[in-house]
Amino acid sequence: MNASPQLRLRCPAQSRSVAPIRHALRAFLQAIGFDGDCLDDVTTAAGEALANAVEHAYGDDAESVPFVELHARIARGKLAVDVSDRGSFIERERLPGRGFGLRIIRAVAPQIRIDTARGTSVRMRFHIPKR
Amino acid sequence: MSDAIEIVALGGELEISRKREIRDAFTLPDGARAVLVDLSTVTYADSTALTELLRFCVTAQRDRMPIAVVIRTRQFSRLVQYAGLAGAFAIFEDRDAAVAYLNERVKP
Repeated sequence: MNASPQLRLRCPAQSRSVAPIRHALRAFLQAIGFDGDCLDDVTTAAGEALANAVEHAYGDDAESVPFVELHARIARGKLAVDVSDRGSFIERERLPGRGFGLRIIRAVAPQIRIDTARGTSVRMRFHIPKR
Repeated sequence: MSDAIEIVALGGELEISRKREIRDAFTLPDGARAVLVDLSTVTYADSTALTELLRFCVTAQRDRMPIAVVIRTRQFSRLVQYAGLAGAFAIFEDRDAAVAYLNERVKP
């Protein structure tokens, strides 16, 4: 079997979870050949998605399970990074203090999709740097 | 450096878990005529830091206080560009250049 490398992390949706998840993603990306600006850009975009999730995902929705999940892997020739939570989707660009998060993600990620069927999933796709 | 120039310095990773600390640091010092925001030792920044920096600079501009921001980390510089804020601050890679910029603006 030739399984593709992947990283899947699930942590409490708290602000202190963001940096450790981002550090783990950075180490994973370095292990699969990312460096320089590509490495910075992917971790920046993921950091913004994680920050959005922990800051605004749950609000007053007491029924939600408070976690945030990151899943990174190579899929169809691209790097796929998904950041998911189970909170209610909020038009986060309209919220004070988080107006730049989605703008930055959109500037960095060639493809982004936001699914809100069950919680919120920010699905980002990146080109893989040529070696 | 002029005594009228106050320094606000932050380092390390400026991200969401430090939001309160960042906001507290970005407070206009009493009696200052200009502020040097020294972020030269920042290793990573996110939009939390950017939002607080923008808030600080807008307040300073309202009070007609010149501000110069020192950013050396490439990730941070790119973040500023991605957010569309490259023209919002006077940004310098070199601290001496930032001080010279401020000294020009606090001359009696």
